[in-house]
Amino acid sequence: MFDIYKEMWDRRKMIHALSLHEIKKEYAGTVLGSIWGLVTPLLRIAVYWFVFSIGNRVAEPVGGAPYTAWLAIGMVAWFLLNDGFKLSQKSFRSKRSIIKNTPFPIAILPAVQIMFSFYTHLILLVVILITLAVALQTVSVYWLQVIYYDFAAVMLLLALGSVTAPLVAISKDFGRFLDTVLIFLFWMTPILWSVENAGRFANVVKLNPFHYIVQGYRDSILYHSGFWEHPLYTLYFWVVVLVLFILGNYLFKRMKPIFLDIM
Amino acid sequence: MDVAVSVKHITKKYKLYDDKWGPIKEVVTKKPLHREFLALNDVSLDFPKGEAIGVLGTNGSGKSTLLKIITGIADPTSGTVDVNGALVFLDVSSGIDPEMSGYDNIFMKGVLLGYSKEEMMEKVDDIIEFSELGDFINQPVKNYSSGMRAKLGFAISVNVNPDILIVDEALAVGDSMFRAKCMNKMNEFKEQGKTIIFVSHDKNAVESFCSRAAWINKGELITYGDSKQVASIYNEFMSGKKKLEEIRSELEFSHSIEKVQYEVTDEGLAMTLEGYLYGRNGVQSFEFMLKDSRTGETISKEIRPIPYRGQSSLPNEVQEKAGFSLTFSEKEFPSFFKPGSYTFGVRYTQADVQSQFSLWAGNVELDGEEDARGRFIYKVRVNKNQLNMTVENADKLQQQMNKIWFKDSSLHMEGVAFVRGYEVPAPETATVQLHLINLGTFEERIYPAAVEWTDEITENPSFNPQGKNYNYSQFSAVIQLADLENGEYEYRLTYKMNSQPHHELNTLVWASKSKEYPAEPHVMGNRAAVVHTETKYLRMEIKALF
Repeated sequence: MFDIYKEMWDRRKMIHALSLHEIKKEYAGTVLGSIWGLVTPLLRIAVYWFVFSIGNRVAEPVGGAPYTAWLAIGMVAWFLLNDGFKLSQKSFRSKRSIIKNTPFPIAILPAVQIMFSFYTHLILLVVILITLAVALQTVSVYWLQVIYYDFAAVMLLLALGSVTAPLVAISKDFGRFLDTVLIFLFWMTPILWSVENAGRFANVVKLNPFHYIVQGYRDSILYHSGFWEHPLYTLYFWVVVLVLFILGNYLFKRMKPIFLDIM
Repeated sequence: MDVAVSVKHITKKYKLYDDKWGPIKEVVTKKPLHREFLALNDVSLDFPKGEAIGVLGTNGSGKSTLLKIITGIADPTSGTVDVNGALVFLDVSSGIDPEMSGYDNIFMKGVLLGYSKEEMMEKVDDIIEFSELGDFINQPVKNYSSGMRAKLGFAISVNVNPDILIVDEALAVGDSMFRAKCMNKMNEFKEQGKTIIFVSHDKNAVESFCSRAAWINKGELITYGDSKQVASIYNEFMSGKKKLEEIRSELEFSHSIEKVQYEVTDEGLAMTLEGYLYGRNGVQSFEFMLKDSRTGETISKEIRPIPYRGQSSLPNEVQEKAGFSLTFSEKEFPSFFKPGSYTFGVRYTQADVQSQFSLWAGNVELDGEEDARGRFIYKVRVNKNQLNMTVENADKLQQQMNKIWFKDSSLHMEGVAFVRGYEVPAPETATVQLHLINLGTFEERIYPAAVEWTDEITENPSFNPQGKNYNYSQFSAVIQLADLENGEYEYRLTYKMNSQPHHELNTLVWASKSKEYPAEPHVMGNRAAVVHTETKYLRMEIKALF
């Protein structure tokens, strides 16, 4: 039931090496190199901050935390989810030439893209955390809980990637559809707005597992609350991940012979 | 025999749809809307360890699909593949990123092939040296020429030290020096007991480099065996000499002439052939046949199976009855041998259909001399893996039909015949005979010709610069047409020297003076005789008029 994840685990060194190569490749030929991995997200955070707190003047402190810090932390989590999801669902398609020409354990390709996103994310996370520590003048032991949420995020991404990548490999239309869904998710996940504003829809919004991660980040950094304090929600999240894992394994086995032929 | 890769009953089907909505429509309507394309059809092959095995086939024959299945890039529709050992697919372009440097690409490709960074560190120097790229190794690959890219790709693949190397027409790129280096490297591999699977449409490369070869055509394995034998069959097909059906029926049999002994005595040629022959489809009785390539006339003898005691390794179950030893002589078939060219084949009947094929003679041992003691000179040669015999006259007969005319129901002929250097001062010095051969039944009739006086040759300085005596070089003959069956006939002439050197020459009758021959059909009751000389050789046709 978990064959492909076992394969990923067995090949973890290969995944690591390939994701580092991805970073190298991503910025090969640029003069500034991996600094771009920092500049782009920081600029996006700045843009949202400008639009919401200067342009619209709707940026009230959220639950006692400054809006800018609240936004930045949410965005850091979102960038990981966004990049990991976007790259992993396309991973079979984007590595088509390798799949077609090299004997290679292709089941690990979504994991390579996710680890690539994760390593880029780590740089941004460190920069943001240092900035926050300086700006807010506090550091808490709760910050370490980010490790748990990062782990949860990677697991969620692996599950989602395993489900979507074989489908995208078979249907290009499905890939387009997922791109649209991702934009929708960005606005539907409480990243720029607080989940309390959703009122009676709050519980519906919370069904989105991405929210578990984004909220967890804010809990760890800003509100100092642990994931054990809402056990039901944590249980819900892991059940979703488990179901996706099983589905992903099934879909990969089922679709692999088909997409190898039609890609 | 240790097997490196074993492929069993592999079938690969691709579904082809006519429009892009096809797959969805098919799911919705549950009607099959696709055409099936069989890329491979029940292919079974064992690749033994420590050998170079060629896979031959035209473009689109399915050989690349087979490789993809062996390497695990594609899944077979049915069947199994068993690979023992680390396998590298030598492919010069994939996994190479143009933006990254050659050095980084070495590691990148190494990781893709499943090696760790530390393992690659040990190999990187060898790779750089083998690739001949020098300082270019630190440049992005996009700045490389295509030859340089190929060198890099090849250098990585061969230096990671695989147990099984698969080469897919990759050697077409790169200059000849580098190609030679690659060949050396691969030969080194063979010596180390590694397996190389070499895919190509070039039979020469396969023949020279591989010990075994398989030929795949339109997804079907046609044959697998000795690379020379397979390459020659493949070549016969590619050059259009043989159709696939013919080749297929031949391949149902294993055969080889391994020893040919012949001698020429006063009684003419006697020849003994030894070798093996067995069928895979239950055909038990074979008939040997010797065929005149020009006319198609054959003589045949039944082949009696005997135990095989030769050098080739045959399956045990056929060992005791696959051999043959066959003798035939000119004495048995007196009028069959004449100057011309002959091939050696086998005829068999299966399901009331008679088929024939040529015996393979790529490894034959010839024992015999060309000898002028007999009527003719017999030469036995191996040409394109087939045994071939040519029969030649001991001397060249000069001859020409001067005049042909019909009179009542007979055909009158007058011509000249002489051998340069052989003087004919009297009518007894030479005997001339005309042979009339029915080309349908190969029945032969012999007509004596009268030798007559003429000064045509003796007085002609271009024929007779030495001033010899060719006074009796004219001949004339009369052929009664009434008792001949309808059909197509050809004329031959034998010229017997009645003094030294006593040669007997036999040749087709030359007839190039078309104005001297009857142009109209000659009617005899309800039949007509027509003289044909379009080919410059005399032929005659007798046909019914109504």
